[in-house]
This record gives sequence, C-alpha cells and structure tokens, in this order.
Amino acid sequence: MTALLDKAPLGARVRIARIDWDAMSADEGRRLREFGLMEGCEVTPLHRGSILSRDPLALAIGRMKVIIRARQAAAIEVESAA
Amino acid sequence: MTAAIPSIALVGNPNAGKSSLFNALTGARQKIANYPGVTVERKAGHASFADGRPLSLIDLPGTYSLTPASLDEAVTRDVILGKQAGETRPDALLVVLDAANLDNHLCFALELLALNLPTVIALNMVDLAERDGLTLDAGRLSRELGVPVVPTVAVRKRGLAELLAAVDDAIRSHQPREAVAAPANDASLHQRARALARAAILTETPVRRWTQRVDNVVLHPVGGLVILVALMFVMFQAVFSWATPFADALEAGVGVLQSWVVDSFPDNFLRGLIVEGLLAGVGAVVVFLPQILILFLFILLLEASGYMTRAAFLMDGLMGRVGLSGRGFIPLLSSFACAVPGIMATRAIPDEKDRLTTILIAPLMTCSARMPVYTLIIGAFIPAQKVGGTPIGLQGLVLFGLFLSGIVGALLVAFVLRRSVTKGNATGFMMEMPRYQWPRAGDILIALWQRAWIFLRRAGTIIAGTTVVLWLLLTFPQAPAGQSQVEYSVGGRIASGLEVVVKPIGFNHDIALALIPAMAAREVAVSAMATANAIDAGDDEEAMAEALGDRIAGRWSIATALAFLAWFVFAPQCISTIAITRRETNGWKWPMFMVGYLFLLAYAAAGITYWTAVAFGLG
Repeated sequence: MTALLDKAPLGARVRIARIDWDAMSADEGRRLREFGLMEGCEVTPLHRGSILSRDPLALAIGRMKVIIRARQAAAIEVESAA
Repeated sequence: MTAAIPSIALVGNPNAGKSSLFNALTGARQKIANYPGVTVERKAGHASFADGRPLSLIDLPGTYSLTPASLDEAVTRDVILGKQAGETRPDALLVVLDAANLDNHLCFALELLALNLPTVIALNMVDLAERDGLTLDAGRLSRELGVPVVPTVAVRKRGLAELLAAVDDAIRSHQPREAVAAPANDASLHQRARALARAAILTETPVRRWTQRVDNVVLHPVGGLVILVALMFVMFQAVFSWATPFADALEAGVGVLQSWVVDSFPDNFLRGLIVEGLLAGVGAVVVFLPQILILFLFILLLEASGYMTRAAFLMDGLMGRVGLSGRGFIPLLSSFACAVPGIMATRAIPDEKDRLTTILIAPLMTCSARMPVYTLIIGAFIPAQKVGGTPIGLQGLVLFGLFLSGIVGALLVAFVLRRSVTKGNATGFMMEMPRYQWPRAGDILIALWQRAWIFLRRAGTIIAGTTVVLWLLLTFPQAPAGQSQVEYSVGGRIASGLEVVVKPIGFNHDIALALIPAMAAREVAVSAMATANAIDAGDDEEAMAEALGDRIAGRWSIATALAFLAWFVFAPQCISTIAITRRETNGWKWPMFMVGYLFLLAYAAAGITYWTAVAFGLG
C-alpha cells in the first residue's frame, strides 16, 4: 500500500517509495536530497502546521528534523515501514 | 618565523555549532564586516596556537553542499574555492560536524575532503550526542576519512587545544592526498556518509525523546500559537518595564553632564552647541540603549535556543497565505530590532520574489529606533495604569498595539504586492529544525555587545551629526528680543513650510520641525525635539529642567499625539534602511518604491487616526 506523504498519519514511520522529482524545481529537489530525503529512506511525519493552515510538515529523518511544504510532500510516495 | 599568518575557514552545515566554536576559539577578538560587493556578513577573528603563533579564523555561512541555494551559501563556496574577490583562499579547513547528526553532516564533509586542502574535523557537541545516548569512535572516523577528527564541546571549551594542534599539524605536514573523489551523485554520497556514520557509532539508543516532548507542546496546532503570542507579549512588556531603571539612570547621567558643562565653561557658542545640541540630542537617544538591548536579548535567546525555527514553522501557514514563507519570519522578527540586519537576513530566502517582498515589508516591523518616539509619546499621553484590575499595563498594551499595527499592515501589503508588483510562483519552505539548546551566556553577551556598539556608533556619528546641523539651523539667525528663537530661525521657517503639508493630519510645528532631521534616523525626531526644547528654554532653568515628555504633554492634543504614533508605524524615515535596500536589490527602483508607498501609508494612517480621534472629542 502506498500513500502520499502529505496525507500520511503523524507519528507513524514510513519508507519513501518514490519521489516525483519533476513536480518540484531543481533547487527544491536538491535541498530534499541534502536533507537525506530520497528513495528508500525512512521518515516519520511529526507535526503539521498550526490551525492557521495545516501546511508545513515537520519530519524526523534519522536524528534530524526537517520542515517541508505540503506541496513537496505531495510529490513523495511512501509505504509503511513494517 | 616570517611566514604569513595562516588563515583557517570554519565550514559546516547549519546548526553544527559553528558559531559557538568560532566564539570559543576567538573570544571577543572578532571583526564583523561585509564581503566587498555583497552584503553577506563576514565574521573573522584571531586566535593563537599553543606556542603563541597567531592564526586568523573566518566563520563561513552554514551550508549543505558546495552547490549554493542562496547568496550566503554562494559566498561559502567562493571563499573555499578561492574565488571570492578580495579574499585569499584559506590555508586550511576546519569542518564542523554535529556529532548527533553524522550521517547528514558527513555528506558535506566528504565533498569538502575531495578538495584536498589541509583539513581537520571538529566532532562538535559530543556532550549533547552522549545525552541522546550516542557514543562515537572519533579514531575510527579519522582512520576512515584520512584526516584528524577531534571531539569538541565548543560551549564548554573542550577539545579546543587539541583542535588547534591538529590544524597546525595538518598545515605543516600537508601533502596532496590521493584524490578521494567525492561520490558522483547524491544517493551514493549519502550511502557513503551513512556507512561512515554507522561505522563510527559505538552505541546508540533511539532518538531524543526530550526534544520530541517539548515539540509536542511548542508545535501544538493551537497551544503552540498561544505560546508564541504569549512570548511576543512578554517580550514587549519586558522592553517597557525592565528598561526603566536603567534608562532613568542614563538620563540622570546626561543631566549631570549638562550641568557640569554649564557650570564649568563660560557662556559661548561652543557651550551652547555642546549642551543644547550634542548632549540634549544624543543624550535623548542614548537613554534608549537599555530597551534596545532587552529586545535584542530576547531575539538572540529565541534564536540560540532553537525556538526561532519553531516560530517560523508555526507562522508559515499564515505567511504562506500572503505569499511569503516561514523563512521570512526570522528576518522580519530581526527587523523588530533593526530593519538593516533584518533585510540582510533575507539572503537566506531562496525565492527572489519572496525575498523582495520580505525586504519591502521589513521596515513595517517596529524597529528599535521607533522605541524612543513611542516611549516618549506613550509616556507623555498614556496614563501608567493597569487595565481593569489586571496586571497588564496600559502603556505596554498601547505599545503592543503599535507593534501589531505594523505586523497587520505588513501582511496586508505583502498580500497586495504578491498579487501585483512581485507576482510569482508559490514559494517553498524547507528548513532544518535545530534541536533545543541552552543558550550560552558568553555567545549572547558577545552578540549583545556588538549590537550595543553599532547603536552607540550610530548615536556618535549620524545622530550627533544631524543634531549639530539642526542646532545650527535653529540658532541662526538670532531672533530679536521677544520672539521665539525656534520660530525665527532658518530651521523654524523650513518647518513652517512643511507644516502646511502635514497640518491636515494634525501635525503641529514641533512635529514638522522634527520630521526633516528624522529622515536620517527615526530616533532623531526625539533628539530634534529635545534640542529645540533646550534652545527654547534658553536660560530659563526651570523650563530646561522640565522633561521633554511633560512639555509636549502640555502642548499637544491627544489626537495629535496618536496621529504622530500612527505616522511612525509606517514612515520610512531611516537612511540606513533605504541604503541597504538599494544594495540588496541592486538599484534605486525598489528603495524608491518602498519609500513612496510607505510615506503614502504613513500620511493616510496619521490622517485617519487624527480625524477619528477628533471625532471622539480628543482634539
């Protein structure tokens, strides 16, 4: 079962199955990879914006926490990391 | 030894603790300037090896790789590659890694190692890594990478001597290494970094629960916003109440100095210039130093503790709606201290239109230079009482309201600009969230001292200069007996001309007089009024002793005072801001646009405030 990262439930670890690099600019893609977000790695969505807007998404990746926008998360396909 | 002083560059990812290490190595021996031609801050300093030989250190902006995404990251690359104009290529690299985030930070380290410069790695914040249950084998990492790896705790000055010794050694014994090419693509680079990190980790317990527990509260969709607003509110209340004793002491000091000069020197031109011009003018501004420092203290603490990024996360939703990003929150919050560093901080915003919009609205954030004006007027017209039995002061509340007007105004302006002149794609917002840290007193003090120095230097140059010119304009020509000197002088006549334009919005002659020199800097409005006041008082000692606030309270209506406050929420009266905008946007187009729209807004806001207040019988 795959889902998109922007809809993934908070607190549950998932594995990145596929990233649609064409859905974002080259710079955005590169920054994602610099954060270590690429196919095969495991992330945990942790926080989703505030009541003002549920937009930015905070993820745990390894021992690091990063923030990305929902639009970028929507280009990332994930599967449960069983 | 005749060799030139070796120069060492500190490089690393954001949040690796680079600046703390830089502070620990150089102490207060640092110099902040700009790289020529660009407005990226250049932090350089001196340190010495164990045997006393000096070395120079340069702290480069944090970046993730040698492919830059923003202006400051480009500077890092250019300095390291020796392509930055006016900058010699560093003799050695000191690569700073966060010990708790090796698998990510090693990527950049691998890229740097491939450059074949003498390199030493500082495995920084090993104490925090241990706190998180992570034990590392520095020796193993060193063998794998082929360069010295020194565990350090910058904030406790641990490992610094070993680090410098290793750097010294690396420079002396450097031979071009066997070229270890960096892995060709991102995925293999990451793979290699992860393998290295795994090899270096001796024991590991799952991630930091402590930070996660705090974040669950601080980033709560509702609770997090409540905390953010409460923090901002406490900050502005503190600026008003904590500073009072210090400001009073400074004011008393200036008074003592004035009487001493009056008593010790004969009454002549020079004495007048010093007492009524310099001391009255500069003194009126210097008394606000405590408030400015308290504001900076809060901002520095929020930044150093790691909270600022959380605030950016919470605000991104709101800022996204007006076409900005949470990235802009940090420059805008810095603009509460001063728009100049705020505008410079926009360099971290990758999107050009997003950045331009943030620059254009930065002057709407209530900078510390407005504090003298706000404090004077609020102190004179708003009673120092509590609001309806609560411990909230009315004066602090009005100040909060002024800050809020600036913010709301900025958001509205951004909304309009992003749909008109700075139209563009929705921007991204990608940022690393640093872990929480206890801010180190030494780092905060160094930064506070640098801000205080910048402010005092401004008071000593721009403000002193304008005040003296104003004093001359107000003193000549000498008024015949029975006429007001201020009205009769050149300055007074210019003000009378301007008064025609600003009369409809409730401004009087005092204000018209203060507005022109306040173009140099907003706080000069206060020193200008103080100087005019001192000249007007002349030899009348009683009038001289009367505080400026009491004097205007007797002369202005409340409606005029409120209109004056509203004016300063918007008015772009600061030459430094205009100059920095010109530099950051490479031309006069945008600063001119900024000045124009802000004056229009200021005029409208003051007018509406005045007419409304008059309608309510406050005229």
